[in-house]
Amino acid sequence: MRQRLHVTLRDAEGALQRLLGTAERRGFRVCAMHAEAGGDACEVALTLEGARDAALLVRQIQRLHEVRAVKWTPG
Amino acid sequence: MADTGAPETIVRSGAQWLVAALEAEGVDTLFGYPGGAIMPVYDALVDSRLRHILVRHEQGAALAADGYARAGGRIGVCLATSGPGATNLLTGIANAYMDSVPMLAITGQVASPLMGTDAFQEVDIFGMSLPVVKHSFIVRRAEDVAATVREACAIARGGRPGPVLIDLPKDVQLARAAAAAARAPGGGPAAQDPRPDAAALAAAVTLLARSERPLLYVGGGVGIARAEPALRALVAATGIPVVCTLKGLGAIEPDAPEFLGMLGMHGSPAANHAVQSCDLLLVAGARFDDRATGKLDSFAPGARVIHIDTDAAEIGKLRGADVALGGTLGIALEALAAQVRRPAGAIADWRAHCAALRTLYANRYDAPGQDIYAPALLHELSRAAGPGAIVACDVGQHQMWVAQHWRIAACDRHLTSGGLGAMGYGLPAALGAQLARPDAKVFCVSGDGSIMMNIQELATARRYGIPVKIVLLDNGCLGMVRQWQELFFEQRYSEIDLSDNPGFVALAEAFGIEAFGIGRREEVPAAIARLLAADGPILCHVRIDPRANVWPLVPPGKSNGEMMDAAA
Repeated sequence: MRQRLHVTLRDAEGALQRLLGTAERRGFRVCAMHAEAGGDACEVALTLEGARDAALLVRQIQRLHEVRAVKWTPG
Repeated sequence: MADTGAPETIVRSGAQWLVAALEAEGVDTLFGYPGGAIMPVYDALVDSRLRHILVRHEQGAALAADGYARAGGRIGVCLATSGPGATNLLTGIANAYMDSVPMLAITGQVASPLMGTDAFQEVDIFGMSLPVVKHSFIVRRAEDVAATVREACAIARGGRPGPVLIDLPKDVQLARAAAAAARAPGGGPAAQDPRPDAAALAAAVTLLARSERPLLYVGGGVGIARAEPALRALVAATGIPVVCTLKGLGAIEPDAPEFLGMLGMHGSPAANHAVQSCDLLLVAGARFDDRATGKLDSFAPGARVIHIDTDAAEIGKLRGADVALGGTLGIALEALAAQVRRPAGAIADWRAHCAALRTLYANRYDAPGQDIYAPALLHELSRAAGPGAIVACDVGQHQMWVAQHWRIAACDRHLTSGGLGAMGYGLPAALGAQLARPDAKVFCVSGDGSIMMNIQELATARRYGIPVKIVLLDNGCLGMVRQWQELFFEQRYSEIDLSDNPGFVALAEAFGIEAFGIGRREEVPAAIARLLAADGPILCHVRIDPRANVWPLVPPGKSNGEMMDAAA
């Protein structure tokens, strides 16, 4: 099942790696991604595919220290 | 000159800023091993009041910092050079991550211009450690060092604790900078209300009031949150029976009538049967780990779930919750204790049932024969050592015997590698614990497989005169693997023979450690007395039967209700 996430990160070293690694380790495949840095933030749009609970993934992403906001659109 | 309100300008090297920042954070002890890329920091340590413990392997540094943090309730700090020094820390960092231990791991890195060139002793420790840290930094400017240390310590200690890595290039350590620059505010989880949601709390109170067979399932989060008093108050107010995970042991007194023991794979039958028949599971700081639940879809099949956890990402991860209580764990437990108005008599039948299970499945120590029966030895030793003693164990059969038979009076007195299951944890963790709690009796219970994974730290015990008491249970094999090969691989024993172990007494003595050996039951009382009387580090080598198994056992893939026991 596909999920769309929009994540606002503080633009810090390793932030994008941490985000993508979390999604993959927690059982989601990154199907598409667009990232754009501006100012001190980085806006990341992700399309993920996985059978696990995306709401749980959102909470796991929210734990990451550079994450400022997560918006999740199922399907 | 007019006071501008500006701070006094101090110029220091990055390494000096690091040391000053650690001191400012209240750090007094760190564990490490020097090398090329961390030499400026070691130079700065010469002028510092920090106590540096020179271990003999970087893994020992990380695991000792872990033990120091768990026993002392403070952040543990470890230090290593780049490349192999950094990679050797990784197991200890992962251990701290899995068990939510506040740790700061500092690694030297090759100089910035060399990073990314495959330089000598260069590894991308920042990248390698990403899955096993709560957070990590590469510091690019000397003026950022102090602020990074402050932020790293706050992250490591805050919320659900964990390890934070700071990678420090050598040129940054050497560069001189004036004041610490302010760091842009971080992201991370939004500040959490420490109080549980009122509606969720009311729902939890209602569920508790209606339940006929409630059960508390207590995990390591209770100890981490220092919420044992709140938990015990809730038990006193409600009379709800309690089962603990491996890391939850000590949250409730071992003699409390409500305590049914550890649940799970090597849990007590009383605990596992109670879980399987309860109608409400009140989960406090536990995460439905597979070693605790057995076959997940048959775990507590008739129970509704109230899940209390500081980490919202643990709620609903493996088992859905009917009611989720976030916020600070201790506050949630206190709120429940205050609001649940149900006397223990309301669940008298259930309490009587649990008490009967506890009696029926009480541990027995009357094993036949004259060989040393490890459970009895550990039980007697823990009684003699008293409730203030700290035990650090390694991983394997002896770890489960400690969990089953040591009288654990508080969570911070039982140091065990619960999540990662890292053989080699016990000795360095015990050393760290003893340094954090110099007045406590600290024991390391190990096996002949595990102790060889960090045996070199006997030299650290000797160097600093750290008076840990090591009980080495030697069955001449990898006992837990042997047990599984016996039970589940048709006795096809594969690579478990350690009968060519070194002479452990002679080995310990070669390190300058007092040591002695026992092999018969009648020798146990004198051995315990000698261990307790020792002023310095001491090792007791205990020969046990290699055929001894850990019972009971939930077979892999089975429900906790399908335990095997010795007679099976």
